[in-house]
Amino acid sequence: MSPTRLFQGGLVLIAAALAVYPVFGTGYGVRALLQLFMWIALAGSWNLISGLTGYVSFGHVAFFGIGAYTAAILITNAGWSWPLACIVAGVAACGLALLIGYPCLRLKGPYFAIAMLGLNEVLRALVSYFEGLTGGGSGLSLPTLQASVPIYYVMGVCAAAVTALTYVIITSRFGLRLMTIREDEVAAEAMGIDTARHKLYAFLLSAVGPGIVGGLAARDQGYIEPISVFPLATTITMIVMVLFGGKGTVWGPVLGAVVLFVSQEIVWARFPYVHQLLFGAIIVAVVLLMPRGVLGILQIKYRLPRTV
Amino acid sequence: MNVVITPAMVGQVVISGLLSGTLYAMVALGLALIFGVMRVINIAHGPMLMLGAYATFFLYSAFGVNPYLTLPVSMAALFVIGMLLERTLVFRVVDAPELSSLLLTFGISIAVVNLAQLAFTSDLRAVEFLTGSFVVGPFAVSKSRLVAFVFAAIITAAVFVFLRNTKLGKAIRATSQSRDVAMVCGINVGRIHLITFGFAAALAAAGGTLIAVIVAIQPEMGQIWTFKSFLVIVLGGAGNYPGALVGGMLLGLIEQLASLFLTTQLSEAVAYVLLVLVLFVRPTGILGGRST
Amino acid sequence: MTAALEVDAVKKSFGGVTAVNGVSLRLEPGRIYGLIGPNGSGKTTLFNCVTGVERRDAGRILFQGERIDGLKPWQIAVKGVGRTFQVTRVFPELSALENLLVVTRGDRATAERRGRELLTFVKLEKLAGEYAGNLSYGQQKLVEFVRVLMRDPSLILLDEPAAGVNRTLLNDLLDAVRRLRDEGKTVLLVEHDMKVVMGLCEVVFVLDHGDKIAEGPPGVIQADERVIEAYFGR
Repeated sequence: MSPTRLFQGGLVLIAAALAVYPVFGTGYGVRALLQLFMWIALAGSWNLISGLTGYVSFGHVAFFGIGAYTAAILITNAGWSWPLACIVAGVAACGLALLIGYPCLRLKGPYFAIAMLGLNEVLRALVSYFEGLTGGGSGLSLPTLQASVPIYYVMGVCAAAVTALTYVIITSRFGLRLMTIREDEVAAEAMGIDTARHKLYAFLLSAVGPGIVGGLAARDQGYIEPISVFPLATTITMIVMVLFGGKGTVWGPVLGAVVLFVSQEIVWARFPYVHQLLFGAIIVAVVLLMPRGVLGILQIKYRLPRTV
Repeated sequence: MNVVITPAMVGQVVISGLLSGTLYAMVALGLALIFGVMRVINIAHGPMLMLGAYATFFLYSAFGVNPYLTLPVSMAALFVIGMLLERTLVFRVVDAPELSSLLLTFGISIAVVNLAQLAFTSDLRAVEFLTGSFVVGPFAVSKSRLVAFVFAAIITAAVFVFLRNTKLGKAIRATSQSRDVAMVCGINVGRIHLITFGFAAALAAAGGTLIAVIVAIQPEMGQIWTFKSFLVIVLGGAGNYPGALVGGMLLGLIEQLASLFLTTQLSEAVAYVLLVLVLFVRPTGILGGRST
Repeated sequence: MTAALEVDAVKKSFGGVTAVNGVSLRLEPGRIYGLIGPNGSGKTTLFNCVTGVERRDAGRILFQGERIDGLKPWQIAVKGVGRTFQVTRVFPELSALENLLVVTRGDRATAERRGRELLTFVKLEKLAGEYAGNLSYGQQKLVEFVRVLMRDPSLILLDEPAAGVNRTLLNDLLDAVRRLRDEGKTVLLVEHDMKVVMGLCEVVFVLDHGDKIAEGPPGVIQADERVIEAYFGR
């Protein structure tokens, strides 16, 4: 049995186990896994823009926040059902990406990173300001709903979808072109690649996931306020997960999400600032010692194919 | 919103803007130096300021010493810390792509802020030393802000004199213009990097000390300062040291102007909106200068 | 006959330094041209202006009669202008074959076949799957050379193609350039290796400090006083 077949078989088994888990598992377990799926979707989406094109987005949580608020507002004010609201949340995030993508992506690396950071804060301030719509600083409550299990499945599907999308992109020439942007944007342009458009596509694709997932998270929590959905901590966590697992790889974000989320739940959640401190330390360590992340290093050392 | 603008208000805005602008300029100068000399964007700059503020707070609470006298101490302490950071971590990414140093300093900043939260808790601290304002005619100037302005102006001027007239200052300027040429001229570039980083941290610490008397002290206070310093540099032109002065003043003035018209919530966002706008319109800064 | 490339009084300055000072060139299709001059004479800047990497300050650039100054680099490349770089710019974390594939559109299988053919031509077929960043400098230059050919451009700008390439392969390369010319393509190369220039180019332009100081067949240029002065000092 070749390693690929083994791996695929393993995947099927895990997927099956996860699918039936809610029947046997605890409420806590379902919610924890739900969160894990969310992080996989977030990290995987961040990887699409930052890992593939090298345009590091420091404010990606803005899409999560916009998704959360869009869904929350549609659910509370307009009475929409949550699945529909979440889809629209994804579209809204995409719309935001389109709006800011064009001017932002023209900026060179560090400027882009910081502009995204700034945008995140601007959005947070705007959301606080338009109190009538968003409940301002006091937040927005959604009508209660015991929907953890359906959300669990939808989140799972999101996580799987983002990973699958990454796989499809990386194995295509579109993905290769995105990577040339990271490798040498000037040379890429000289070779006839419209880098501006490619960056924008990657950016849009990377916004949908957080948008939908933001909506789902809002529905699941039942309550959101500006600081809870635009926190820097979320961006930090997304970044650490992908850097650790391997940016630009398919399974890197998944690995990073699993390892860091599990560690976070088991060990660090007891000491609130310690785990953030450790995240900072991990970022430093990864940048200095293994900038390609775990899977990135393995990929190079053992000449693994890109689909890892 | 009915706001009648009187000349007195404009004057107040200008004065307040210049006062805070000078402080912004001093702190931003540190960031500009690191960027100019090492091509590193130091996201951990704000946390250095925060540490300076805490240093002042603890010295003040423990020994009751005049906070302004703690300036040399906080500056010296952060000078050392800055050099330590450079020697252990930052020097490794100076030649790497700029995003590596961005991510590295990002990681450092997270670590430092959370260390501070563990060590100092996130309780708000304050240095109640100089309260009240001077009132001259229709203008009111808070005493602590005025003193901060004076020190910031002196320190900033001193830095420029240092850069222009001393051998080390010239070496720093040479390195920021062209590292290779500086090396060929016999300048120990590694040492310049070390000193510059420490220097910048000291400037941030000075800002922290001065600010400690004005605002509440908490571990996350530095974040907005990193941002504003970056904004000042973008406004004044990256790699353009006098530009930091102009950028600082501009930021100070714009902020004060905005607070006339906007609610406090929105005026907080002014800095961010301004940064985003400037980046979109003129990525190389208003006064021009080197882009990355 | 429309010129393959027409550079009309192009100027480009950086800060206070004028790199290209009103240079005009005209390239007829199906010939091999050389662009020489001492270091700093503006050759690469001129290349950059033609390919859109830099925006020229003044003057016009026409490709096959159409103005291309002001277009984005990728648009110019799509129109049929290909170039290599002075210091090789392969995509290091893509394999040699992927470097070639990435510039193509259309059927992937055909592109892969052509890519492998080109790699075989430069004797790199065994390294098709190797990360381009791991190849030697000379090998990278070859990959860059065939990468340009993947899009079948009609104007090819080569920036120092001979540097770093061993002699036997260099001859194959030069033969390839001649074959390209025979197919009707126009080639403009910047080179410091005079043997290559003299042996390959039909017409040579000479730049010095941003000005075109001479133009003509290699033999004539070699004997031109101004050229000798430019290279060996005033």
